[in-house]
Amino acid sequence: MTNDADTHPYGAAVGTLIQRLSGLPGIGRKTAERLANHLVSCREPDALALAEAIRSVRTNVRRCRSCFNLTESEICRICSDPRRNRHQICIVEQPRDVVSLEAAGVFQGLYHVLGGRISPLEGVGPEDLTLDALVRRVRQDEVTEILMATNPTLEGDGTALFISNLLENEPVQITRLARGIASGSVLEFANREMLADAIRGRQNF
Amino acid sequence: MSTESTEAIVIRQADFSETSRVVTLFTRDFGKIATIAKGARRLRGPFEGALDLLAQCQIVFIRKTSNSLDILTEARLTARFRPEARSLHSLYGGYYIAELLDGFTEPYDPHPNLFQEASLMLRMLEAGDRPLQAVLQFELTILREIGQMPVFDSCAACGRPVENNGSFSYWVSQSGLLCRNCQKEEFSHHQIPAGTVEVLRRLAEGDSETASRLAISPAQISSLRRITVPALIDILGRRPKMLRYLG
Ligand SMILES: [Zn+2]
Ligand SMILES: [Zn+2]
Repeated sequence: MTNDADTHPYGAAVGTLIQRLSGLPGIGRKTAERLANHLVSCREPDALALAEAIRSVRTNVRRCRSCFNLTESEICRICSDPRRNRHQICIVEQPRDVVSLEAAGVFQGLYHVLGGRISPLEGVGPEDLTLDALVRRVRQDEVTEILMATNPTLEGDGTALFISNLLENEPVQITRLARGIASGSVLEFANREMLADAIRGRQNF
Repeated sequence: MSTESTEAIVIRQADFSETSRVVTLFTRDFGKIATIAKGARRLRGPFEGALDLLAQCQIVFIRKTSNSLDILTEARLTARFRPEARSLHSLYGGYYIAELLDGFTEPYDPHPNLFQEASLMLRMLEAGDRPLQAVLQFELTILREIGQMPVFDSCAACGRPVENNGSFSYWVSQSGLLCRNCQKEEFSHHQIPAGTVEVLRRLAEGDSETASRLAISPAQISSLRRITVPALIDILGRRPKMLRYLG
């Protein structure tokens, strides 16, 4: 493979940009080159606004202190919304799952982002997830329902099982998404209607 | 390059890109293979959710002659691994089987019998009544298949044949039994309760269908796993990750 940064006819700066862009998911070399050409020739403020947007995301976005979703403030928009039911918590693996479930627009409670799933073979144990914080929330916020929305994979289901054992002695009802979403797949690829149905049809764990 | 088809168990997966995954499979006819499954992360891709950890599937793959990854082109689910009983022990036992298959076999070194046993033990774990017995049986199967089964029919020091209900202990460094006369303090060994040696010999002989029907007490299982686990660690050169979860 040629090193774009050194050999690009427009010079090293364009070469580096192409390299950076093609490192992004879903972007091949051809697309990276098209995007770079666009950024070189578009209005300067537009190009710089993109650079600033990237910088701003990296400096301002952090994890919500309560639910570990991504946010720009201490507490995320969902957690600070007074209309949401604080006694219902939906457990997901990743922040992007919150985005998918919010798009379905059915769930009115709060979320808890685990930051992954228990995957012992990959070296991820229960202590690597936000479980202590979850147990604290369940006790402090008088949570009455926990909705498990981990991915319907073996490890996702296993994580849900671990959590349900962990909360065994807490006075909460534990439910799970209906099995509309194919086993072995992941939530982020499910469409809105499937997720809405899965939330409405949730079952006891 | 050739197109092959066989039965396989998914033993490891890692996301590779937005849509692809690297999937390690233990196959019936080719042993362990590492493949790339393009589109595996899509909901309605060519694999339709068949590629879950420990799922058993009928697969088609393109075998590469170079040392690049094989290409998985098809996977049809035959059995998903989902322990019925809500037992983490059954689940972790399943993960352990995946870890042992990955750790103790080499690529393209077929062990059809090991495949058969793995499949059988996964079904036993799913049934969920005796997860640790399934774990023990599989540990013995691995040792037998890789030709490292400790000798259980005679004393490792004096060669005296093992008699039923005789008093034996297990000599860790020599992977063998010690009769009463040979049990010296300077040897690192631990006592095996009477009767347990006989259970061990029957398990070690193979035929897991019969072995699964043996009623082995939890105490006997833990006593026997004090033999199998050190033997496995010794060969692997490290502690399997799942031991922490299985106890
Ligand atoms: Zn929050
Ligand atoms: Zn002896």
